[in-house]
Amino acid sequence: MGSLLIDNVTKSFGDTKILKGINIDIDDGEFLILVGPSGCGKSTLMNIIAGLEESTSGKLELGGVDVTTAPPKDRDIAMVFQSYALYPTMNVARNISFGLEMRKVPKIERDKVVLDVAKLLQIDHLLDRKPSQLSGGQRQRVAMGRALAREPRVYLFDEPLSNLDAKLRVEMRTEIKKLHKRLGTTIVYVTHDQIEAMTLADRIAVMKDGIVQQLGTPDEIYNDPANMFVAGFMGSPPMNFIEADVVEGDVMIESAGQQYKLRLPCAEAIRASGKSRIVLGIRPEMITEPKPEELSGWLHPIVMDIEVVEPMGADTMALALWNGTEINARLSPKAGKSAGKGTEIQVNTQFAVAFDPATGERIR
Amino acid sequence: MLANSSGMNFGRAFIYALLGLFALLYLTPLYVMLSTSFKDIEEIRSGNLLALPQDPTLYAWSKAWSSACTGSECEGLAPFFMNSVKIVVPAVLISTIIGALNGYVLSKWRFRGSEILFGALLFGCFIPFQVILLPMARLLATLGLANTVTGLVLVHVIYGVAFTTLFFRNFYVGIPTELVKAAQLDGASFFQIFRHIFLPVSIPIFTVTIIWQFTQIWNDFLFGVVYSGPGTQPITVALNNLVNTSMGGKEYNVDMAAAVIAALPTLLVYVLAGKYFVRGLTAGAVKG
Repeated sequence: MGSLLIDNVTKSFGDTKILKGINIDIDDGEFLILVGPSGCGKSTLMNIIAGLEESTSGKLELGGVDVTTAPPKDRDIAMVFQSYALYPTMNVARNISFGLEMRKVPKIERDKVVLDVAKLLQIDHLLDRKPSQLSGGQRQRVAMGRALAREPRVYLFDEPLSNLDAKLRVEMRTEIKKLHKRLGTTIVYVTHDQIEAMTLADRIAVMKDGIVQQLGTPDEIYNDPANMFVAGFMGSPPMNFIEADVVEGDVMIESAGQQYKLRLPCAEAIRASGKSRIVLGIRPEMITEPKPEELSGWLHPIVMDIEVVEPMGADTMALALWNGTEINARLSPKAGKSAGKGTEIQVNTQFAVAFDPATGERIR
Repeated sequence: MLANSSGMNFGRAFIYALLGLFALLYLTPLYVMLSTSFKDIEEIRSGNLLALPQDPTLYAWSKAWSSACTGSECEGLAPFFMNSVKIVVPAVLISTIIGALNGYVLSKWRFRGSEILFGALLFGCFIPFQVILLPMARLLATLGLANTVTGLVLVHVIYGVAFTTLFFRNFYVGIPTELVKAAQLDGASFFQIFRHIFLPVSIPIFTVTIIWQFTQIWNDFLFGVVYSGPGTQPITVALNNLVNTSMGGKEYNVDMAAAVIAALPTLLVYVLAGKYFVRGLTAGAVKG
C-alpha cells in the first residue's frame, strides 16, 4: 500500500551532485525521518519523492508500482510545507478541500471531509477565515488538514514545525505522533531538529553531502552511530570527541593532571585495528557524579577539574578538559553545586565508541 | 523643543508651498484648455487667456465631437474615438493576458533558457518605436493587415507584451513557489493553478498593467499615423489633423475641446483607478 522504495536515486545540477545514490526502503505505515544539516539534500530528496523534481537516475516505487516519472498528482502523496503554502485568497475550508475539488470529488462529500478533518485538528471554528487571519499554530493545523483531507498513501512533512515557537512545537510534535498512531499512514518527515527526529521516528536516515550516513532506529542512531558525523549530529549537547593514545586496546585519558586508562566495549577492535591514536566518543550523560548503586563493569572513577557549570534545571552541564580537549559532563543539580577543582567523577564506557581519526569511521 | 517644532513647521510650509506651486504649474494649461473650450471665438480673440468664460457655450465641444473637419471629412472626432476604442480595448486585453501568462511561466515554470528569454523580452522595452517602423510595415503588408484596426492591435500587442511580461513576472516572483508545489500535489493543472491561485491575487498588478497599457496605446501617435488607413485612424491622429486643418481662422475653442476629448479616457482612468495604480506599483516592495 504505502510502502516506498528509494532505489539508488541520484540528482545533479550540471556538475554539482546533490544526491549521490540514495537507497531507503520504507515500510507501509512507517514513520521515517530524514535529518541532516542544511544543504545535505534532504529537501531535494523530498521533492523527488513528491514528484516536484525529477531524479537524474535511480528508481522510486510507491506501493510496489514504479512512479519514477509519474507527475505529482498521480502519486497519491500529500505534503506539508515548512512555509505551510496555504492558498492566500481561499478560506480555510477551501484550502482543505482544494485537492478534492481538483480531483472532482462531489461537493457534498468534500464538505463532509472538511468537517471531519477540521474536527480532528480542532480548527472547525476557523473554516471561514483566510490564512492571513490565523496564528502560526492555526496555519500549521490547516496545512496538515489539507494533507489529511485527501487520505493519501504517503505524507511528506518538510520541516513542518520549524516556524513555530518552542512551546507550540512540542505540542504539535505530540499531535503528529498521535495522528500517525491513529492513521497508520506512511510518513516521511524532514527536520534538522534532532529531538523531533528522536521522538517521532520509527527509523531515522541521517544525511550529509547527498549520502545517507546511517539508516536505523533512533536507538541505533544514538547508541551505535556509524561515524563521527552521525554521533556528533544526534544528541544535545553533542557527544564528546577526544583524541587519545591507545595502549593495548585501552584508551589513555589525562584529566586534572592524572592519566587514566579507559576500557571500551570495542577494546578488541581497537587493538585489532593496530592504531596508536583514536578518537574517543562518549556522551555527556555517561560522565556523571559517582553512582555507586550502578553495577557495571564499565565504570571508571576519575578526578576532573570542572571549569564551568551550566545549570539546566533537571541536570547541570559541567565543562572540563580531557587531553586538553573541552568535554561536557552531565551532573545532577546537587553534584553540580559542589563541582569544582578535583571533583570525583564516574565515567561509564558501556556506550563509549571509538573512531578512526583520519576517516571519522567507527572502529568496531 | 519649541525651536525644533517651529523649524519643522517652517519646513512643512515650504514643502506645501513648493507642492502648490508645481500643482499650479501643471494645472494651469488644463485650466486654460477647459476655459477656452467653453468660450466662443469672439471672446477668445478679444478676451484674456486666463479669464473664465463669460458666456459658457458647448458649441466648441459639439463641433469637435461631431462636425469639425479632420482633413477632407468633416465628421468631428466621434468616428476616430470609436476607432481608438476598437484598437485599445482588444490590444490592452490581449497584451495583458499574454503578459500575465508569460510572467507566470517565467517566474514559476522556469525552463532551460527561460532567463535568457526573459532578458530578450526585457530588451524589447528599450527598443524605440522608430526602429521598427519599416520592418513592421513590411510585416503588416505581408500579413495583409496594412491600414487595418487588426494590424494596429497586433502592433500594440507585440510592443506591449515586453512591458506586461515584465510587470507580471516581477509581481509573481514575490509569490511563494511552494504554493505552486502544493497545488501540483493537490492535483491542479498548469492552468488551474493560474486560475485558482494566481489570478485571485493578481488584481493590483492587473490594475497597473491595464492602466499602463491603456495610456500607452490610447496616447500613441506614431504607430497610429504610420499603420492606419483613412477609415482606421485613432483619435490622436485625428486630433492632429483637426488642429492642422484650417477653414479660415483658427478655432482655438474647438481645438481645445478636441484635445480634452482625446485626453478624457486616460484622465478618467487615472482619476478612477489612480490609487490602485500606486498601490499596485508598491505592492511588491512592501512584502516580506
